[in-house]
Amino acid sequence: MAKTLSLDNLHRLVDALLQEGVRVVGPKRTGTLTVYAPLTRGEELELNELPRRSAKETFFPPCETILSFEKRDGRTTVSDPDLDRLPETVLIGVRPCDAAAPGILDAVFSWDYDDPFFLERRKRTTIIGIACTSSDDACFCTAVGLTPDARQGSDLFLVPVEGGGFAVEALDAKGSALKERHAALFTAGGNTVPLPLAEPKVEPLDLEKIRAWLDGNFEHPLWKEIADRCAGCGACAFLCPACHCFDIVDEGGEGSGCRRKHWDACGFGKFTMHASAHNPRDVQPQRYRNRIMHKFKYYRDKFGQTLCTGCGRCIRWCPVGIDIKAVLDEINKKS
Amino acid sequence: MTQGQQTESTPLVDPACYAAATAAIRAEAVRLLEAGEVTAVVGYRAGRRAGSAMPEVATTAEAAAQLIFTPGCQNNLALFLSKAKREALPKGKVAVVVKGCDLRALAGLIGESQLKRDEVHVIGVACPGVYGAGADLAKPLAAESLARKCRECKVHLPEGTDVVAGTLPPLPDLAPLEAEELARLEAMTPQERWAFWTEQFARCIRCLACRQVCPFCFCTQCLCDRNRPQAVDTSPRPAGNTAWHIVRAMHLAGRCAGCAECERVCPMDIPLNLLNRKMAQELFELYGFETTMQPQEQGALTSYRDGDDQSFIK
Amino acid sequence: MTATATTTKHDFEPKLVAFVCTWCTYAGADLAGTSRMQYPSNVRVVKFPCTGRIDPVFILRAFQKGADGVLVSGCHPGDCHYMAGNFHARRRFAAFRQLLDFVGVDLKRLQFSWVSAAEGGKWVEVVTELTERVREMGPMREFIDLDASEHWSAELADAELKAAYHSL
Repeated sequence: MAKTLSLDNLHRLVDALLQEGVRVVGPKRTGTLTVYAPLTRGEELELNELPRRSAKETFFPPCETILSFEKRDGRTTVSDPDLDRLPETVLIGVRPCDAAAPGILDAVFSWDYDDPFFLERRKRTTIIGIACTSSDDACFCTAVGLTPDARQGSDLFLVPVEGGGFAVEALDAKGSALKERHAALFTAGGNTVPLPLAEPKVEPLDLEKIRAWLDGNFEHPLWKEIADRCAGCGACAFLCPACHCFDIVDEGGEGSGCRRKHWDACGFGKFTMHASAHNPRDVQPQRYRNRIMHKFKYYRDKFGQTLCTGCGRCIRWCPVGIDIKAVLDEINKKS
Repeated sequence: MTQGQQTESTPLVDPACYAAATAAIRAEAVRLLEAGEVTAVVGYRAGRRAGSAMPEVATTAEAAAQLIFTPGCQNNLALFLSKAKREALPKGKVAVVVKGCDLRALAGLIGESQLKRDEVHVIGVACPGVYGAGADLAKPLAAESLARKCRECKVHLPEGTDVVAGTLPPLPDLAPLEAEELARLEAMTPQERWAFWTEQFARCIRCLACRQVCPFCFCTQCLCDRNRPQAVDTSPRPAGNTAWHIVRAMHLAGRCAGCAECERVCPMDIPLNLLNRKMAQELFELYGFETTMQPQEQGALTSYRDGDDQSFIK
Repeated sequence: MTATATTTKHDFEPKLVAFVCTWCTYAGADLAGTSRMQYPSNVRVVKFPCTGRIDPVFILRAFQKGADGVLVSGCHPGDCHYMAGNFHARRRFAAFRQLLDFVGVDLKRLQFSWVSAAEGGKWVEVVTELTERVREMGPMREFIDLDASEHWSAELADAELKAAYHSL
């Protein structure tokens, strides 16, 4: 029997989880923007807007300390963070384009080296996805193999239903466990007619054909045509749910300091700069090409997945109006 | 409501004025390219989404015939004439489409010897205003979607350009939101201002969009990218973010043209133009310096007078 | 000048950084020393060729690294070894002060002065005054607190981080 959850009970669920000491992260209005942020009560949940930044930061924060060092009495001590103390987290109210991304990233974060920072957080986090009932002209999830109600990546899934509230579906053990633990909040029956989904109206893409075209067109006038206008910032990469490049820096002084890992972007001129000052990606079109190649070719070649979930953030926030969907349409036409 | 005023959501101006500017830009751009007077025209073209626009480097008459001017033409194209983006342009004389605010930036670049006036053919646009960040581009431009800078714009009509595209329609008087916000901050105590900016800067993710779209951030090696010695922490933490934004505002003091692109492109909604505007205001009060549409030989902080104020120096 | 001020014990000894030009103020400070004048040992002097070489970012860095007060000092107008370095510095610091004030830094912690090579007494006066003023104000917490705060999901502090990094 299908279970439903009223909006009030969803808020109560958040409150109950917080009471248990679980960290609950969800879309929250802070100032002028909505971002995924730790909630302090259920009512803070803002489900009507796609958060400005993606949910990846729950697993891969913009900046994290990976060790600290201190020099005292001629000896240097290095300490690692105690990852066992990372709290259990529930990531709630996640749209399908955001929910799908962490699973895609598992492949690279456990490939030649198991990244404990990412994977420990993954292990301890339950994702409550929500079907998408609002989209705009930057959304294109359907063109990259997802749908506004894709379950991919969610442990528990909510579908907004007529008359308010949500139909609830547990998709795996984590989701079921959470549902069992708070069974009293979920009611059997009720209206389960889903609200109309926000189907983006976009040209479909043939991702395999695009991959094949990229394979043969590393050098092509298209790159210059598209990306001469690229200003070389990291807005696209930093807002992207799937971009995962990072840099490692030592910060602090002579006596003590921290080694930190923070987001990096292939659009930056310094991204591939060698110590010799030689830069293999010397001009902006080469950097933008890497962005497309990585998402639609390299990652597919290596892990069989596309590094894009069609959330549209890079389109909405590109300072110079570069539209990745338009770029893909163009390639799709060529291939 | 008094006569002549309008609500925040009624269309601001007749869209026909943008169409007229578009036609004039196309005619001029096609003429320039066909006559071989320039190798490229830097202008705007329409994007895939309704109402969107993006910079375009047109090198053929066909491409030039696609140029547009709409409220979606937010970018400051003077960026392409700075050292940082010049690589995107072919060699030779180029033409550039500028709004009044962009023209101030272009004049600033010429004043800083980044290019010579005769290396560029300037196509000015009579600009009633453009969309602000996050505006719904599919709807007609209205006071609510107008960029904050445009509400107080004094340079709707560029001066000293080679040609001006379009004519200016009558524009409504709008409340100066940015000036009001600046006054609000100035009235605060230092502690309150510190709290305000700390919260703003904490959000910064260091995507550096503010730097990359700024025509004046053309250093080959940004101080804030250096790590030996390191002046500013590169990690997106409150400490480094605060230092970055202070250094940025300082480096733009007396140079910033007020195009407010840094603020528009900030994906984290940090009101960066308030910093630039504050500095411009202070430099005007202290030294009578203002950025203008004409190149100036010396900037506020690259010149001095014997009698400059030193009341703060013991 | 008596030596009593230096023997008084205080609860808080502020850390001051003085960025000075080598031609005038450094020589002035040197004169104060060779003349056996007493001034608070709270000040750490960093020598530059000219005030024109003192980048505002140095001041910022000093505060970030724990300075409670900063002094910038150089040649009187007209006395610059490089003709106009201090004139440029004057404008730059006039602007920088306004910027710092606008972001909320208390300007009482930042002092500018002209101290010539002959003004050992003025050096003592400037340093003593700034030391006492900053001592009264207490430690500069703003930048230190900033350095300790983490950014995560738009929150300044996050319980998760605090717990996980407790051991650091």
